[in-house]
Amino acid sequence: MSDRTDKIREVARKWLADGTVEAVVGWEQGTYREKCSPVLVRKPEDADRLLFNDRCTNNLMTYLKRDPVRGMEKVGVVAKGCDIKSLIGLLQESQVEREKVMVLAVTCEGVKKDDGTVPIKCQACDVNTPTFYDEIVGEKVASNPDPEARFKDLEKLDAMTPAERNSFWREELDKCIRCYACRQACPLCICSRCIAEKNQPQWVETSPHPRGNFSWNLVRAYHLAGRCVECEACETACPVNIPLMLLNRAMARTVKGAFDYEAGKDPEVQPPLRTFNLDDDNSFIL
Amino acid sequence: MSKIGVFVCHCGENISRTVDCARVAKASGQIRGVAVAKDYKYMCSDPGQALIKNAIKEHKLDGVVVSACSPHMHEKTFRKAVTEAGLNQFLCEMANIREHCSWVHEKEEPTTRKAIELVRLMVEKVKRNMALEPIRVDVTKRALVIGGGVAGIQAALDIADGGHEVILVEKDPSVGGHMAQLSETFPTLDCSQCILTPKMVDVGSHPNIKLYTYSEVEKIEGFVGNFKVTIKKKARSVDIDKCTGCGECQLKCPSKKIPSEFDRGLKNRTAIYIPFPQAVPARPVIDREHCIYFTKGKCKACQKVCPTEAVDFEQTDEYVEEEVGGIVVATGFDLYTTDKQGPYPDYKGYGEYGYGEDPDIIDGLQFERLASASGPTGGAIQRPSDGKEPKSVVFLQCIGSRHPSKGIEFCSKICCMYTAKHTMLYKHKVHHGTAYVFYMDIRAPGKGYDEFVRRAIEEDGAVYLRGRVSRIYRSGDHLIVKGADTLSGAAVEIEADMVVLATAVMPQPGIEGLFQKLGISYDQYKFASEAHPKLRPVECATAGIFLAGACQGPKDIPESVAQASAAASKALILFSRDQMLREPVVAKVNENTCIACWYCVEICPFTAISKKDIRDRQGNLIKRVAEVNPSLCTGCGTCAATCFSNSIDLDGFTDEQIYSEINSLMAVGQDLFPEPEKAEGDSPDEKAA
Ligand SMILES: Cc1cc2nc3c(=O)[nH]c(=O)nc-3n(C[C@H](O)[C@H](O)[C@H](O)COP(=O)(O)OP(=O)(O)OC[C@H]3O[C@@H](n4cnc5c(N)ncnc54)[C@H](O)[C@@H]3O)c2cc1C
Ligand code: SF4
Ligand code: SF4
Repeated sequence: MSDRTDKIREVARKWLADGTVEAVVGWEQGTYREKCSPVLVRKPEDADRLLFNDRCTNNLMTYLKRDPVRGMEKVGVVAKGCDIKSLIGLLQESQVEREKVMVLAVTCEGVKKDDGTVPIKCQACDVNTPTFYDEIVGEKVASNPDPEARFKDLEKLDAMTPAERNSFWREELDKCIRCYACRQACPLCICSRCIAEKNQPQWVETSPHPRGNFSWNLVRAYHLAGRCVECEACETACPVNIPLMLLNRAMARTVKGAFDYEAGKDPEVQPPLRTFNLDDDNSFIL
Repeated sequence: MSKIGVFVCHCGENISRTVDCARVAKASGQIRGVAVAKDYKYMCSDPGQALIKNAIKEHKLDGVVVSACSPHMHEKTFRKAVTEAGLNQFLCEMANIREHCSWVHEKEEPTTRKAIELVRLMVEKVKRNMALEPIRVDVTKRALVIGGGVAGIQAALDIADGGHEVILVEKDPSVGGHMAQLSETFPTLDCSQCILTPKMVDVGSHPNIKLYTYSEVEKIEGFVGNFKVTIKKKARSVDIDKCTGCGECQLKCPSKKIPSEFDRGLKNRTAIYIPFPQAVPARPVIDREHCIYFTKGKCKACQKVCPTEAVDFEQTDEYVEEEVGGIVVATGFDLYTTDKQGPYPDYKGYGEYGYGEDPDIIDGLQFERLASASGPTGGAIQRPSDGKEPKSVVFLQCIGSRHPSKGIEFCSKICCMYTAKHTMLYKHKVHHGTAYVFYMDIRAPGKGYDEFVRRAIEEDGAVYLRGRVSRIYRSGDHLIVKGADTLSGAAVEIEADMVVLATAVMPQPGIEGLFQKLGISYDQYKFASEAHPKLRPVECATAGIFLAGACQGPKDIPESVAQASAAASKALILFSRDQMLREPVVAKVNENTCIACWYCVEICPFTAISKKDIRDRQGNLIKRVAEVNPSLCTGCGTCAATCFSNSIDLDGFTDEQIYSEINSLMAVGQDLFPEPEKAEGDSPDEKAA
């Protein structure tokens, strides 16, 4: 780990010194327990703040679409394989220009949640050693041969009757306080004005009443159908621990079944809901 | 507050049989914003419309809901009526309480309640409707005709004679289509070439017709009145302006063993060839697949003999763009092939009849070539295997057609007639021969048609046997045809010298590719579909595209020609106006919230959306947004549904309108999310945790 930290600092310092990038987005030691926080490093001498360890959970790609990073000519970003998947999404959707980012990929054995457990995405990770980057640090790490294992959790939902599922989600979504942390953390929630903030008409009721909570959480999930890269940023950010990844993974599984498509894999392939093709499968139309 | 008028129609008894119209009117009157609500027996009638017009004036209405049949039926009628009373036509909406309510429900209390809800929805929508103006677009007064068979030729000539330019695109080296291959035509037995070739010549020389032969439509953009077509001119390898059509090249070409398409394989042609002497244009083309120079790199015999240096081996495919306002599709038909592996993989062939294996088993078009004075035998009926005159010929009808087990259910319509014709042509040339016909039914319901068939039987002695053939096999010099005569109940076995199969009429293989480019629909067999089988038989559901000839279904020449003239007149009607009005239901982008993800740009089926730069006065790029071209947009709404930043709205169907419609139902209905009933064991502490 410390080896990777050294290398990250070295590359960042070089990029900043020779003007390759204006700034580098990375992780630094946080102030709360062992947690790491995002940091924007602008000067070569600050590169030593950067580090990498198994508490670097944040997906830093979300900063690429925000000021001040958005306005920069060129920016470096430290990224795990899963974070890079969201970059691929942003590239597909023209939110980021490839020439404007330098990807400093880091191999990863998996991160830990606040409670010390290993997230599902890491258990079933297929990108421990990233393949899309400008520079990479760290030794090669083997991936889980069965990435589908991440859908295992959905079986408990599948086993429920619709009524049970409904009450399961009622209970869960009842907790939502509408802080929109999930949205802010999501690298692919790219709207500048979210539908939740539109009021003509107000599709999503703003008060944390079940009706509004259902609308909000379902709209969020639907808007990520075929786009969500399962980085788990939303679920990690949620202060009331709603299992948002169950929704996201259910969508991902459906998209995979229907279109044989997985988000975040290939920047050249269009997401299924983004294409109109005369030979699209129409069999579902009666 | 809005002043909406609601007008409930009984539609005679169509609605009032199951819906209490008076009650619908009364309840509608209670909806907030409704100033007047009335019911009437026939709202579309003169007095009905007068009732609406008077109410608009009397109550100064700012919106109208006609609660009646489907908008498809009468929206135009009522929009016209409100316009006459001074209201913008887009402030009139229809609530369909007939197809969506009275016709599909019993006479019960909920039926009337549903009708009221449907009115309520529309009232909420109309309250938020905005006055819109139809979009005016210029009409390009030029036509594209695709396919140069008799239908395409006729349509092109009619439009050209009407004073408008026509672009005629034919995929083969010559126009003419199948009719050029026919010998004589039913029901009058006049020579096909004699009546067709003058028209072909006209098409080639008409000042208003631009002919592209050996060409195909590559791409079509735009909409009625303004199509942009890209045409691919396949490399002919001959400069047709330099070429005089002398034919020297054909004589010298050493690659001579290529089955002629025109003679349907009964004769060979060379690699450089004019398909038939009367071709228009009468210019050769090099079939590169069989040309020795193109396959082996050496030869150029044709180039050496060409007196005008017209042969050009370097020629490449060329693409030209043409702008047209209307399109006639006349791509015709092809015959189902009966050998095992035909061009229609979805349908089973008739391997059991030996077509493609035994040279003396031929199809109808091959028989036409045998009987034709311009054919391989100069019009003498000779069997292909050894050139002997066949003493007996068996004709089999309905090969493929009306055979669900082979995948085709329809009747090919022309075969009864042309088979009768074939027996006559045969008899007129082989006086001592006998023609046998196996048929299922004789369908000859045209002018002079039944008389024609009777003549074949009664005067020319054709032997008609009602039944199917089970097997055909060769026995020495003859073919044995085994079948059943179901009328006498006897099994029959005929010794034949030649067998002719009347195979099913099918669309051109692969034609659906063109139909998809045009955005027109087709049936399960890939015949093009008309907009309405009875009332709009030559129009497509896509405006500005018309159908002519056998591409729509089996047709004979009189029908193809009649339809072609009908399609031409539709095109001429379109061209009679300088401008066209289009519904203003188009998408609009909210530039403030658009995030330039280009989802809409990618998915718009009509490529109506483009990327636009927003710059400040100094010309610096501030942001990029999507932009809709209203004259290309069809209002399909795909973009609005796809844009997750909700930055697209459809005029006339805004989110606000749809939302208020849904909301009006919620208000009456139950709350979808009432506070949960407390289940046992659901303690308050647990919930708080
Ligand atoms: C054996 C036989 C005998 C017949 N005898 C008679 C008769 O005696 N009397 C009678 O009334 N009818 C007869 N018919 C019917 C007659 O042939 C048709 O009614 C007529 O040919 C239909 O004309 P069409 O222009 O619609 O199609 P076609 O003649 O098939 O012409 C279509 C044209 O479109 C072209 N084309 C196809 N696809 C494309 C494309 N993608 N781009 C550009 N061009 C394209 C084709 O090359 C062709 O030139 C007979 C038919 C058969 C099979
Ligand atoms: S889909 Fe919406 S946000 Fe994306 S470019 Fe189109 S209008 Fe803009
Ligand atoms: S509504 Fe949208 S998707 Fe449909 S044609 Fe118009 S711009 Fe294209």
